[in-house]
Amino acid sequence: MKIVWTLMMVVSIVTLLILNPQNTVVAMTRGANDAVRLSMTLVALYALWLGFFQILEKTGIANFLAKILSPIVKFLFPKSKKETRQYITLNMSANLLGLGGAATPMAIKAVGTMDTGSTRASINMIMLLVISSTSLQLMPMTVISLRASHGSASPADFVPASIIATVVSTILGITLVKIYGLFLKKREKKKEELGKSELIIKEKTKKELPLSVFKRQ
Amino acid sequence: MSYIIPLIFITVILLSVIRKQDPYSLFIQGSSSSLKLMMKVFPYLVTVMIAVEVFRISGVSGTVAGFISPAMNFVGIPAELTELILIRPLSGAGSLAVLENIFATYGADSDIGRAASVVYGSSETIFYISAVYFSQTKVKRLGFAIPIALISTFAGSIVGVFFVGII
Repeated sequence: MKIVWTLMMVVSIVTLLILNPQNTVVAMTRGANDAVRLSMTLVALYALWLGFFQILEKTGIANFLAKILSPIVKFLFPKSKKETRQYITLNMSANLLGLGGAATPMAIKAVGTMDTGSTRASINMIMLLVISSTSLQLMPMTVISLRASHGSASPADFVPASIIATVVSTILGITLVKIYGLFLKKREKKKEELGKSELIIKEKTKKELPLSVFKRQ
Repeated sequence: MSYIIPLIFITVILLSVIRKQDPYSLFIQGSSSSLKLMMKVFPYLVTVMIAVEVFRISGVSGTVAGFISPAMNFVGIPAELTELILIRPLSGAGSLAVLENIFATYGADSDIGRAASVVYGSSETIFYISAVYFSQTKVKRLGFAIPIALISTFAGSIVGVFFVGII
């Protein structure tokens, strides 16, 4: 993200500097304004769905949902806490219904429960990110309503193809993360073995040390 | 489809009453964390969206799209969709503007309009999500998470655009 952002900023601003420098501030202000407007929409959406999900949680419905979906969630997120799985279940249900605004706060909470304080993302965090990105969606409401407003004869006629696309991307994403997880495990094992052999060497030198000290004396 | 959400709400509220819970105060409890959450998310939001807007208005996104479009054509995606595919992972609002532009130029029911709908409907704002999800943790290194997400989404788009041509 660091690299992408820096590249985008530098290349775009240099281009603007050459072509029309007065547009630079206009563009940046517009971007910031868009962000404020979007954040207001999101605050409203978060309030609605976090409120709703609090009822789900305390009434035991979230728990019930998590139990139903637990075989899938356990396969995707091995060794995860029960609390994490609950949030993930809610995140997945919201995504399926096309409620992106509701899915995001649940994912943030899920990531929070997976947090170990490390700077490196765990494989389960990566899985959650990839699944959310490929967004298994049954009803992309935004596009349907936008097409309707542009006078489409049947605004939802692309939905089957769109579902096929998300199914393909989700399956591919899950497979790739699983392979990546295996690769990471192997690397960790190698590191552990290396660490062990280093320890053995250190122990050996420790043992030899008193002798050499003795000899010198 | 439009019946589902109201039905879910009624069921949940009634269930909570049956289980002797107080849905009113539970809702307040939950929604009270909304602003706190946005306080943490907002810096990421504004940082990404400024870059996206500069990227679009400078015309760099159009130029980059011009470079990539032959490759897009090769995998069966119309060249007109390249900018949409480029902006989509970065910004929801930005890519919605591009989509609207495509509908206005080619028509919502044209082949290009339908293909654009599939691309938009089957993808997510990956960079935004990755910034926001980890906004409350110290996680900085994501490994191959973003490349995997981008590749999978792109592969899905290729298949989806292929199918929308047939259906």
